[in-house]
Amino acid sequence: MVIPLHLAFIEGSGIKTGKPENPSAYDDSNPVIEARNLNLWFSDAHILKEVSMRIRRNKVTALIGPSGCGKSTLLRCFNRLNDLIDYTKITGEVTFDGENIYAAGNDVVLLRKRIGMVFQKPNPFPKSVYENIAYGPRVHGISDKKELDRIVEKSLRDAALWEEVRDRLNNSALGLSGGQQQRLCIARTLAVDPEVILMDEPCSALDPIATAKIENLIEKLKQQYTVIIVTHNMQQAARVSDDTGFMYLGKLVECGTTTQIFEHPEEDLTENYITGRFG
Amino acid sequence: MALPDIMNRRATPAIRKIQEQAIGSLWFICAIFAVLTVCFILGYLFYNGYPAFVQIGLQDFLFGMVWNPTGSPPSYGILSLIVGTILVMIGAMVLAVPLGIASAIFISELAGPRLRTVIKPAVELLAGIPSVVYGFFGLVVLTNWIRVSFDVPTGETWLAGSILLGIMALPTIVSVSEDAINAVPREYKEGSLAIGATGWQTISKVIIPSALSGITAAVILGIGRAIGETMAVLMVTGNAAVVPEPIWNVLSPVRTLTATLGIETGEVPIGSLHYNALFAIAVVLLIITLIINLSATFILNRIRHAQTGSDDTKRWFSQDKSVQIRRFLLYGFLGMVLLLVAVAAGILPCLVLLGAVIALSILWKRVSAKITQKIAYSCMFAAVGIVLAVLAIILLDIIVKGLPVISWEFIFGYPSNLGRAGGIFPAIVGTIYLVMGAIMIALPIGIGATIYLSEYTREGLVTKTIRTGVDLLNGTPSIVFGLFGFAFLVIFVGLGVSLLTGWIVLALMILPTIIRTSEEALKSIPNAVREGSLALGASKWQTIRKVVLPAAVPGIITGTILSIGRAAGETAPILFTAVVFSTRFLPNSIFEPVMALPYYLYILSTSIPGAKQYAYGTALVLLVIVTLFYGAAVLLRTRFQKSIRW
Repeated sequence: MVIPLHLAFIEGSGIKTGKPENPSAYDDSNPVIEARNLNLWFSDAHILKEVSMRIRRNKVTALIGPSGCGKSTLLRCFNRLNDLIDYTKITGEVTFDGENIYAAGNDVVLLRKRIGMVFQKPNPFPKSVYENIAYGPRVHGISDKKELDRIVEKSLRDAALWEEVRDRLNNSALGLSGGQQQRLCIARTLAVDPEVILMDEPCSALDPIATAKIENLIEKLKQQYTVIIVTHNMQQAARVSDDTGFMYLGKLVECGTTTQIFEHPEEDLTENYITGRFG
Repeated sequence: MALPDIMNRRATPAIRKIQEQAIGSLWFICAIFAVLTVCFILGYLFYNGYPAFVQIGLQDFLFGMVWNPTGSPPSYGILSLIVGTILVMIGAMVLAVPLGIASAIFISELAGPRLRTVIKPAVELLAGIPSVVYGFFGLVVLTNWIRVSFDVPTGETWLAGSILLGIMALPTIVSVSEDAINAVPREYKEGSLAIGATGWQTISKVIIPSALSGITAAVILGIGRAIGETMAVLMVTGNAAVVPEPIWNVLSPVRTLTATLGIETGEVPIGSLHYNALFAIAVVLLIITLIINLSATFILNRIRHAQTGSDDTKRWFSQDKSVQIRRFLLYGFLGMVLLLVAVAAGILPCLVLLGAVIALSILWKRVSAKITQKIAYSCMFAAVGIVLAVLAIILLDIIVKGLPVISWEFIFGYPSNLGRAGGIFPAIVGTIYLVMGAIMIALPIGIGATIYLSEYTREGLVTKTIRTGVDLLNGTPSIVFGLFGFAFLVIFVGLGVSLLTGWIVLALMILPTIIRTSEEALKSIPNAVREGSLALGASKWQTIRKVVLPAAVPGIITGTILSIGRAAGETAPILFTAVVFSTRFLPNSIFEPVMALPYYLYILSTSIPGAKQYAYGTALVLLVIVTLFYGAAVLLRTRFQKSIRW
């Protein structure tokens, strides 16, 4: 049997700390995020259909599927960023640590602090590198300069960017390269100390070297955070994720451990997609 | 975890929610203010104009030939005024449309980057010259030229008004057409050139047809500008309320609707039928400009939709229709030119010209594409040359004749002998006071309304209403603001002719400019940046205050500077609301009137014989002040465009 790429990567990297992944030991009884019968419409278009899914704690979950299948929309449901889009209607529920985030009176701002997000295209603010990172802590009430300095350095180190930008913290973030900008955005997210990090195709605008750096970073991040990543790239899903959900035409076709989805998919649709018969 | 629990340090969610809501409603109030103001102004004008419609009778009012409100019996027919307005506008368009479109094509398609950096600011400068300065130039140079070269008793004619208005409408036509041409996708052009079409074929067959609706909107906006203008026409058209005899006699004096308001508002007995009739004129004027501006907005919105590619607009702009429109414009235009030639030189040259045109159009199909291109390019080159020459003549005339007057005493002295001696210090200070006050009022309201429009609400009925309100405010002729300010603020509220009244009227006038430019600045900030901030758990107001507004500051400042320039040069709105011709004192309170440069120049050049030299000096000072503001805005904009690339 040929060893799948992702297993080779994980075994070789030595990052993995827990027990070796065993498909039969898939325990999703204590999910950090859970979607139950989630439906979403943008005006008349039914984008998400009866999606139910559990996201395991401190794992990397990949959402895969062809363009327009609703994976980004599902991701944006988790931090209620779809609220910004006009004429959105949602039914069903999404719980975060057992609480329905769509319940009336729920504080969206607090939710988004706890669930960070990295976007498809790097979107640094038109400010300096330092100010980009310090922005989050500042809006959450930290004004002590020393503490901010510490948070900025730690976040940049965690995002593996510190060495590259330590000399130009006061330069505009718009002057960084695409890959650096994306790691800056990750650092910016880390700076507010979230519990979950959502990533919406974080590497689609990057070259292969920058992509490799981000993927390494994701491996590191899951020790502290739960990561949910939307990706078009199936090799990437195989390389970085523990769990995978496959979506098609607004439905979650199946989800489970990455090994199981990639090696023994239950649905023909999943197998066809993964083996490249459509997409 | 290494990081402290930072959530404890902020306000509790409940308090924050209340804060957010309070801030949101504050912006809503700002936005609604614009709409309410428009409604109120409209209502007030109608309310005061209504008695005139009733007592005079709609038909007698609109179609009566004689406007003689002070005669006995008085007569209130405004047909001659409407005809005068339309004739002056048509004349202006005959000049401005070909020059403007040709210049726009030249700037966007033919000029190299270097030439462009000369021509564009020049056209913008043309837009920046205050209308009273145009009027002054028209009065002392243009009318003289017409009087001598056409051998008529006075040069204050329809022709003079049309030439001036044509020049004034040019910048609008050039810049809006240029935007339309620039919006044509590069692929179209490349596609055409790639199959071996010449540059001119590409321009005439691909670029202009694609940009046609934008160019149409440019022409309509130019018409709106021409109809709404007061001071320049007032100063050069002779103001006789007659229909030219024969109708195409460009050397006849005419009187426009705006000029009538400008002349008579100050002297009318309050509450008389004449007073009501003036309001009725304002209503008619407002309706005309409303229709014009709304149709331009409609067309421009269509384009925006067409670019986003919805189906029904594509049908609306089908190729057939654009060919039809083009043909219609071409023939209409030709007709107008022929008519004008017939007027100016008689029937025979007109026939000769018609023959020449027909001969040319037959020849046109036989000459090679290269020669056609050469001819077309030379025409456009000539058009730009004319525009630049006009600007140079106006500037040189004012600089050369105004510079000798400028002295320490002129700038810092007080006027004496009715402005024939002394200085203009109170006028300079008064202008600065007026402008600063107006900005202080308009800026917070304008930015608040903008924030509400672009950040707080989804596109729908509310935004549409507010935007329409802003558009209407923008299209309102400045003299209407003057009339409203005079009747409501000065008389009814009892503020009197004062600095405060001037502030309010000018603030109303510049509010739309501030809202529009700020909205553009906010819209240019990508949504991804807002989402980035929100995704970090920043609240809406935090996102706006710390990310959106700082990035939009250069755009907002540009808009503010443009408004300052505009407010500094305006005469019509302050004519009856804020200014006196001459005073030896600076105002002690905001309830006192002030001197202002534009008004001072107006009186000096129209009513004080023997003050021409000082009028030139005043014009130069006004021009320099306004130009400085425009220059700063242009500079800032270019720097801003260079520094930020998303």
